[in-house]
Amino acid sequence: MFKRIPAILGLLAILIAAPLPARAQDVPVVVAAADLQFALVEIADAFKKDTQRELKLTFGSSGNFARQIEQGAPFQMYLSADEQFVFSLADKGLTLDRGTLYAIGRIVIIVPHGSPLKADGTLADLKAGLADGRVKRFAIANPEHAPYGARAEEALRHAGLWDSIKDKLVLGENVSQAAQFATAGGAQGGIIAYSLALSANVSKHGPYALIDDTGHQPLRQQMVLLKKAGETAKAFYAYMQSPSARAIMRRYGFVLPGEQS
Amino acid sequence: MDWEALWLTLKLAGLTVLVLIPLAIAVGRWLAVTSFRGKAVTEAALALPLVLPPTVVGFYLLVAFGSGSWFGQTYQSLFGHSLVFTFEGLLVASVIVNIPFAVQPVQRAFEAISPDLRDAAATCGMSWWRMVWRIELPLAWPGILTGVVLTFAHTLGEFGVVLMVGGSIPGETKTVAIAIYDRVQAFDDVAAAKMSALLLAISLVTIALSYLLTQRLGRRYA
Amino acid sequence: MSVGAGEILALVGPSGSGKTTTLRTIAGLYRPAGGRIVCNGSVWFDSESGIWIPARQRQVGMVLQSYALFPHLTAIENVMESLSGMPADARRAEAAALLSRMHLDGLDDRRPALLSGGQQQRVAVARALARRPELLLLDEPFSAVDRVTRRRLRAELVELRRELPMPVVLVTHDLDDVVRLADRMCVMHEGRILQAGTVQDVMAQPASATVVELLDLVDDMELRT
Repeated sequence: MFKRIPAILGLLAILIAAPLPARAQDVPVVVAAADLQFALVEIADAFKKDTQRELKLTFGSSGNFARQIEQGAPFQMYLSADEQFVFSLADKGLTLDRGTLYAIGRIVIIVPHGSPLKADGTLADLKAGLADGRVKRFAIANPEHAPYGARAEEALRHAGLWDSIKDKLVLGENVSQAAQFATAGGAQGGIIAYSLALSANVSKHGPYALIDDTGHQPLRQQMVLLKKAGETAKAFYAYMQSPSARAIMRRYGFVLPGEQS
Repeated sequence: MDWEALWLTLKLAGLTVLVLIPLAIAVGRWLAVTSFRGKAVTEAALALPLVLPPTVVGFYLLVAFGSGSWFGQTYQSLFGHSLVFTFEGLLVASVIVNIPFAVQPVQRAFEAISPDLRDAAATCGMSWWRMVWRIELPLAWPGILTGVVLTFAHTLGEFGVVLMVGGSIPGETKTVAIAIYDRVQAFDDVAAAKMSALLLAISLVTIALSYLLTQRLGRRYA
Repeated sequence: MSVGAGEILALVGPSGSGKTTTLRTIAGLYRPAGGRIVCNGSVWFDSESGIWIPARQRQVGMVLQSYALFPHLTAIENVMESLSGMPADARRAEAAALLSRMHLDGLDDRRPALLSGGQQQRVAVARALARRPELLLLDEPFSAVDRVTRRRLRAELVELRRELPMPVVLVTHDLDDVVRLADRMCVMHEGRILQAGTVQDVMAQPASATVVELLDLVDDMELRT
């Protein structure tokens, strides 16, 4: 065994020799709010087909990305679910400009198949369910750093349910995880992004209903190019505002700037 | 199946072993053969990543790597980019969280070598290097191998620290463990299941291989 | 204390008397606070002038009490580790000759675990001799074997010492070893030398009651009076 050390070292050396991640190539890292999980993958595919340019997409909570950008993360473009995060980065001089509004999001209540709750957009059945004990667990995204969580909290407060529901909440790290929690069966329902509910991957788990958007601040989703943005990121930024990208966004339930819902 | 994430994970694990094991041999042997004031504190410090939540380690690494620290600034001025959210940063983090997994078995192995053998080597006229190379390293080899395997296997499975300092960038910091988390969130259960099964198989093979080798070596020197 | 070429000096005394420490000091494995060691005219240690030659540079062969054979190396490889400064072929040939001289023919390629206690001791002696030492140190060389083997090994050593040109220092707590092997002896107790001289002199005229007690000569004395 010991005499084989050179061979083992050699093997490991191959690992070093293998090219490190191709940072030099123009394949920008684009970070996006979790509600874009399905829509943006489709848009990126269309973008690749049209321009032969590739992207690396990472989804998560808008607040976490904002913090990572402050810490110097090598991202080139940031699609937030909340314009405030973008503005605050812009104020710190970390972005190229103050960005563009690319969509307005909506929230839905979703209940998994077999749940004692009804998918009721007025939240009346949720109120009844809280009163009669049908609701044991309810999923939303973490309001601290996920915009969809913050809007869910506002909607629940508006309906007068916050105090009775806050001890029953399970918090997803982002809205995509909240959707996971809401439909996996452990919770009786949850409030998630309309764009996620419209994906077959999610809607197969149960019915959902739009929540009236007068009960919460609008989800003004702002995108911005960061200081390190290269050609591809800039091209994608423009592509997001093209008719083909807008068509996909519309299909995922987003209200687009300059259009009526 | 996310082959990019798998390759990245294997590379991270391999490089972690490559960087850490020589250090672990030096430190482990030093701790095994010397006694000094503050040794217990040193050993405790090296064992810390074992008990600290990955988030605590991740937080301190973020602070240390960040553009606010002298280390972060020095690195930035040398290489032109930040250490956070890069493969190099992930490698440094991985080396740090794996210290106890590598150092402890190596140290135990060197401690198990009778001091008589070092005396014998000295009276045989062997140089210090020859003694280490011909006597100590072969005898400590099962322990070193255990360190290699534990480090490798643990890197495959590390999640919290990777998430915090890596940031899940495809091809750069998105390891299989993160990719699985990612796929679950994207409601892509099929991909998550495939990758989980693969990671399980690789971990099992790695551990089994080490038991097999250690057993064989143990029998040989008995 | 001193020992001349071809002589065997025995260090005797109860455990904890400092005889092994003395041996380790001579070998260079232990550095005492003060003293002076000279071998064949070269100073190995002198606390006054600060001279300290490390063990690996002293031309000394040592057989440790545990024999301390390298467990992962074969008998011949163990001996070869003591030979340096020549090509591998020559080292192998010389090691084989030494093993043969120690009556270990055919056991060259065995690892220590597969050798008996007596065979291990002979490999350890061969390894010590391979160093071509100016001084041979034996620390309780028969303590790890049974009585029959002990007698045979001792007989072998008596034979061997006739051919050995270098002085030998032997640590033992067994008076039989002293009487049969040693020319001179040195009685130690609590880190001090109580008496040194030829074996006959010390045995015939113990310097003090403690020496008598340590040498367990009480019965003999009583018989004589």
